[in-house]
Amino acid sequence: MLEHVGFTDVRWGPQVDVFSGSKHESDAKEFDTRGVTFAGIKPSSEGASRTNN
Amino acid sequence: MLGYDEPLVDSLPRGTVDSFAGTGNPFSFGDLRPGETVLDIGCGAGFDTLIASRQVGPSGRVIAVDMTPAMLEKTAAGARELGLANVDCRQGLAEELPVDDESVDVVISNGVINLCPDKVAVMKGVLRVLKPGGRFQIADIIVHKEVPQGAKDDIDLWSG
Repeated sequence: MLEHVGFTDVRWGPQVDVFSGSKHESDAKEFDTRGVTFAGIKPSSEGASRTNN
Repeated sequence: MLGYDEPLVDSLPRGTVDSFAGTGNPFSFGDLRPGETVLDIGCGAGFDTLIASRQVGPSGRVIAVDMTPAMLEKTAAGARELGLANVDCRQGLAEELPVDDESVDVVISNGVINLCPDKVAVMKGVLRVLKPGGRFQIADIIVHKEVPQGAKDDIDLWSG
């Protein structure tokens, strides 16, 4: 989705358990919920990297 | 805590830390640079806004957007307590960012976009407000299993 919107150099950090010890820990485990970090760049020439579909 | 340096966390106002509901550390991809203009989407009580404010320094600024006046007041109070004059609080939705086109160097957000009904609209807004060559650094959550409608309708699961 991020590349389709128009971002480039999209990077993802490791998926981590961020609900351990919280009151919603069991709910988070039920749906296999993970914390993530992600980053990307708006290209200098926006149209250059946008997909055509 | 979530990869933040403890001395950094300890330097923030107690109320800011107590209200923090982030799910990760958007600064894990690198610190911000002095002079940069930053947008914090869903700033909440201002935990990341205040960190960003210090990193960009007086020559930079942080636009803190949240949908609730109560959270914006907490962010503003935290900035006042730390003597940070470069925080600009604005009420608005993540899908309709109250920010000019191509006016921001970096967009950060923490544990907010998962709560937004239209995530594509949010990211299109991020693209709109970023300057060419600008970047986003976001922390959030993802689920690997389908969440049933009953759970989606449970308001207790939407808040900390």
